[in-house]
Amino acid sequence: MDSLGNTLANLLTIAWLLPLFGFVVQILFAHKWGRKSKAAAYLAIFCIGTGFVCSATAFYKWDKQAGHLVFKEAKPAATEVAEPKNDSKAEVTEEAHPKKHSGRQTVFSGTFYQLAQFGDLQLSLDYYIDSLTLAMFVMVTLIATCIHIFATGYMSEELVEDYVDHQVHSHDGGHFHRPGRFYRFFSYLSLFCFAMLGLVIAGNIFQVFVFWELVGICSYLLIGFYVERHSASTAANKAFIVNRVGDFGFIIGLMILWTSFGTFNFADQHVSDGGVKPGLFSMVTRDHHGEFPKSADGKEVVLTTQQDGHGAWQVPPETSPRKTIAYTLLIVAGLGVFGGCVGKSAQFPLQTWLPDAMEGPTPVSALVHSATMVAAGVYLAGRFYPMFVPEVLLVIAYVGCITAFVAATIAIVATDIKKVLAYSTISQLGYMMLGLGVGGWGAGLFHLITHAFFKSLMFLCSGSVIAGCHHEQEMPKMGGLLRKMPITALTMLVGVIAIAGLAIPGIYLKFWSFVPYLSVYEDHGYVLSFSGYHSKDAILATALAYTKLNPLHFLLFLIPLLTAGITSFYMFRLWFYTFLGKPRDQHLHEHVHESPWVMTAPLLVLSFFAAFCALGGEHHGSLFGVLHHSEPVHVHHGFEAANSVSLPSHQAIEDSHASAGQAALLAAFVGMALSYLIYGKGVVNPDEIQRQASGVHAFLANKWGFDDLYDVMFVKPAHVVAKFAAAIDKFVFDEILHTFVRMGIAVSKWDRKFDEGVIDGIVNLMGNSTHSLGISLRNVQTGKIRQYVTFIAVSVVTLFVLLFALYPKG
Amino acid sequence: MHDIGSLVDQLVESTKTSVGLFVPELVLSGTIVVLLLCRILPLVWRVPTQWIALLGAFTAFGWTLSQFDQLVTPSEALQVKTLFTGLLKFDEFSTFFRMFLSLFLILTITLTVLTGIPDREDAPDFYTLLIGATIGMMIMASANHLLMVFIGVEMTSVPSYAMVGFMKGRRQSSEAALKYVVYGAGAAGVMLYGISLLAGLTGTGSLPEMAERLSMIVAQGQGISDPTNRTIVLASLMVLVGLAFKLSVFPFHFWCPDAFEGAAAEVAGFLSVASKAGAFALLVRFGLAFSGQSKEVSSIAFALGIGLGVLGAATATFGNLSAYGQSNMKRLLAYSTIAHAGYMLMSVSALLVLRFSKQAGAEADVASLSCIEGLMYYLFVYLFMNLGAFAIVALIRNQIFSEELDDYNGLGTQCPVLCFGMTICVFSLIGLPPMGGFFAKFAIFYSVFKATSVHWVMWLVLAAGAINTVFSLFYYIRILKAMYVKPRPDGARKVTYDLMPVGLFVLMVCLPVLGLGLFPARFSETFHHVASLLLTGR
Repeated sequence: MDSLGNTLANLLTIAWLLPLFGFVVQILFAHKWGRKSKAAAYLAIFCIGTGFVCSATAFYKWDKQAGHLVFKEAKPAATEVAEPKNDSKAEVTEEAHPKKHSGRQTVFSGTFYQLAQFGDLQLSLDYYIDSLTLAMFVMVTLIATCIHIFATGYMSEELVEDYVDHQVHSHDGGHFHRPGRFYRFFSYLSLFCFAMLGLVIAGNIFQVFVFWELVGICSYLLIGFYVERHSASTAANKAFIVNRVGDFGFIIGLMILWTSFGTFNFADQHVSDGGVKPGLFSMVTRDHHGEFPKSADGKEVVLTTQQDGHGAWQVPPETSPRKTIAYTLLIVAGLGVFGGCVGKSAQFPLQTWLPDAMEGPTPVSALVHSATMVAAGVYLAGRFYPMFVPEVLLVIAYVGCITAFVAATIAIVATDIKKVLAYSTISQLGYMMLGLGVGGWGAGLFHLITHAFFKSLMFLCSGSVIAGCHHEQEMPKMGGLLRKMPITALTMLVGVIAIAGLAIPGIYLKFWSFVPYLSVYEDHGYVLSFSGYHSKDAILATALAYTKLNPLHFLLFLIPLLTAGITSFYMFRLWFYTFLGKPRDQHLHEHVHESPWVMTAPLLVLSFFAAFCALGGEHHGSLFGVLHHSEPVHVHHGFEAANSVSLPSHQAIEDSHASAGQAALLAAFVGMALSYLIYGKGVVNPDEIQRQASGVHAFLANKWGFDDLYDVMFVKPAHVVAKFAAAIDKFVFDEILHTFVRMGIAVSKWDRKFDEGVIDGIVNLMGNSTHSLGISLRNVQTGKIRQYVTFIAVSVVTLFVLLFALYPKG
Repeated sequence: MHDIGSLVDQLVESTKTSVGLFVPELVLSGTIVVLLLCRILPLVWRVPTQWIALLGAFTAFGWTLSQFDQLVTPSEALQVKTLFTGLLKFDEFSTFFRMFLSLFLILTITLTVLTGIPDREDAPDFYTLLIGATIGMMIMASANHLLMVFIGVEMTSVPSYAMVGFMKGRRQSSEAALKYVVYGAGAAGVMLYGISLLAGLTGTGSLPEMAERLSMIVAQGQGISDPTNRTIVLASLMVLVGLAFKLSVFPFHFWCPDAFEGAAAEVAGFLSVASKAGAFALLVRFGLAFSGQSKEVSSIAFALGIGLGVLGAATATFGNLSAYGQSNMKRLLAYSTIAHAGYMLMSVSALLVLRFSKQAGAEADVASLSCIEGLMYYLFVYLFMNLGAFAIVALIRNQIFSEELDDYNGLGTQCPVLCFGMTICVFSLIGLPPMGGFFAKFAIFYSVFKATSVHWVMWLVLAAGAINTVFSLFYYIRILKAMYVKPRPDGARKVTYDLMPVGLFVLMVCLPVLGLGLFPARFSETFHHVASLLLTGR
């Protein structure tokens, strides 16, 4: 097993470090290749493409060991192949154990390099590889490769010595001129890929934090790529600052963890003396009922820091020293870390930065601000799941629920094609958080992966539309583009169907058994539907099961259900608005053209995955099965509590599946139908509705007033305080500092004068006289050198006198 | 009662074992003989003398390295012992410095080969002087007897005078050498006086015996008002003056800027590092010679320690402030050298203060360990960073024929490797992480901080050290500013150099500076071990 662990670690490390290599080469040498060279792009594609091959290989190897969940065994033996997965589903009553498939290790962890040690605290570069890591690696590298290729076409305008930015006006009314920045864009992308993969592979929470900040920096650089545009630089600042707010909570969480747990590591560590040091996840083992071991008064959680004979972690006996953490602290730590996730994943109330982030180039929006970086918050919430207690999960669920609904409503009125997608991203991220919060670990992360595919697809499609329309982003000016750009329109439709969660019930597919190498689809037929249907279904089913257990929180099911309808409505609105109907701007329409193959080919690849990556759904699907392998142990049984929130077990979710799925499908169809009536068929004039409900429209178009609210609450007071602080700084501290500097200069000037005038004077006098008198060595000896040596004697005597005078008495 | 026969046997036995352990110095001496033979016989035109010198240096380094390795690994292969009936001490501390010095010799010879500063005819003379001085420093590092203290210091100094004046045609060089000689002679006289007083008082020259004798003759409870005590203080002070001259400690530093400016940069680099290393080793040994049971002797050493701390602070301040106005690179680096001697002196001061304080205990012992550890770490980093700086000055001089700071303007684009090396060295000299200089400075300040609990004056010393770090920033940054920020004037001489040997050498010297900063633990463990062996006085 160790050899497999090493192989995986090596492959993923290569995939991780290659983009860094690419970044270094590009940033150091690319300017020598010339502004018109595409070499930087090819290097970046090579790095991330090789990274994808490595990740996929690693995934294949893992899959082989875990029981051929995805890929066919060399000798086809269909019945055996499906077995391990069925086991994991069936053993509901069996006792849960960290290694579900006994003898098959599913988590590989270790240390790359130890950075430093402060007391007990080790700071090291670790890796933690389980099926979630692998799935994220494959997803990130695959999407990133597609987007890199797409960007080669999209950014080709930058391949000039003199780029004219039509959106920046200089004082004389002309446009802003600058050199093209093609290679710089790709070097930033490479750096981002490195940071993102580093975040995923990180084996301790501190390392996660480091790469967390690094992706933040990359996001900042990429949002502000058109730095001369005021809106872009402001948006970059906003994204960065809002994220700091969340990171503040993250740091608090880190401090609590370190104080109480004494380690940052996720996994157990083998220490040099042969023992095992428990990682974070091992220290919070729950019992069969999902309860923590608690101290006598029930306020402290006792950490499981001792291993029994079978390697399971247990509470040490009363007599030996125990580590404990107050239950409230555990809540605060969980909320703190989740605060970081709120910032990064643009959750309520920190969601305002993401729409503005659309100022970056569209490939960036596709990669960073929909598929990967913003999902990092969800990823971290999933990774950190064992540390979240039910109360924290409730907060997560409500935050996700509110975010999903608010963002979806704003998306209805947005007219900028990228803004619609941005709000949709926020809304979907809210869904994921909701899924995690209501106890659906697998459901939330399942949606993370499927969403990454269809949302990056849709962003790239919108990029293709924008490039085709000569950088027009307003949907009211488009329309009727289906004929002009058929590939873009149809791939976009795949994405729209996927996100809306449409399915045709009752129709089952059988033909997948003919596809070579993919084994698991042999026995089952599947609902004709795209990926989003399955993942959204999973979340809603969990939410329904949750509300059955906790009737008080019934909104956690109803609002997402409503949102599912809204999602379907605004996504189809986008599609109808853009691709159907009559062209609304004739001039624009005439110049529209389909994008070149470098841009459409990635669309086709991504649309394939957007459609089929979740095939089989939650029951038999391989993707869910793979993720299921990494599920924290306690999730399986749920949690029953009399006086706090309960979490549904897998069985309970299973029971709610049918009804939740039907409700969701109904909502989606209603949304689509409404959209078709209004925007496709034109039964009702949308402008008419807008006039009728102008108040609501203004409220939504103003993004629920969050930006104004924050402006009044934080930005303006901050400006006042900053001005005050600046004044203090300028008139008080600077003055003090200047005085010191002036004093320092005065002292050193005096010192220089002393050295040059007195000492050098003496010495030079001697040197000059040696030279001018030359012949007379006698003169030098009798004259100056005596003086010179006298100086030594004088110093000695002075020192002795000083020592004598100041000698410590007694 | 020994009869003559057994005494002779004993002497023969002692000499036999001593010679076996003294091989590195003997190899270097043999190299000198071969070099001189080359000079006399007309072989010089055939045999490239630098290779002979390099061979000798490598042999000495390899030998000392293996000795050091055998000493620090717990085995019975080599034992700590005194050589030549107690004249020299063979232990981990001295072997470390002998290894250090022979490594430095290798680097210096390599540098002179690259810059070609001694021409073909003069090369045997130059290497003779260089190796001779190195032997002197090795003796300084292992001296166990007042006689060897003096011989070591002088054996280092005399070749140094000649090397400073080696560029015969230059008036400045000869003048510098003359000043150096005169000053050195004066300092040596004072030191010799101190040595004779000490020897006369105690009736022995051996350092380990001196402490016992001192505690016998010291008048207890009289303090410094007693004439004997006063004489001891005076004598120790005079010995310290000799060392202070070697270390260019304020107010005995006046020779340093002139000598460095007059000498070739290679020589200046050699003198700034090697003679300091030897002198610091000697200073530590001399200071520890006061160890003993007597409270009065301890209080004398304690007072000397405080004095050294004040001198160290004054030296660092003086060196840094004087460097402000310098426009000549060598002169600037000379003042920087003075300042760094001040920092290192602080650690010796902390050592004496901690070790001879009244409340000496287990904690003070641990703290005094860290003083020696810090000093050794500093010297080890200093070797690379200061040699690197001087070497780059020499290499640039070969191209632009100038050592003025203004002529460095805009070099950053013309010779990136040299300037990169200079940047590393300068950052390390300032003490910025992650360079080795940071950890070195940190270690020294840490030990001074430990000493503050013993005496309040050490707070002032610590404060002076901290302020000086800030002071030094300004003039070091001027070098970088000249190289990277200012434009190269039109018509300035173009810089061309071979990347292969020169660039490689620069990286070889500069990258350890970075390495020492990135992996401090590996080295400091060794130093810690050596320091603990020295202090437990096995």
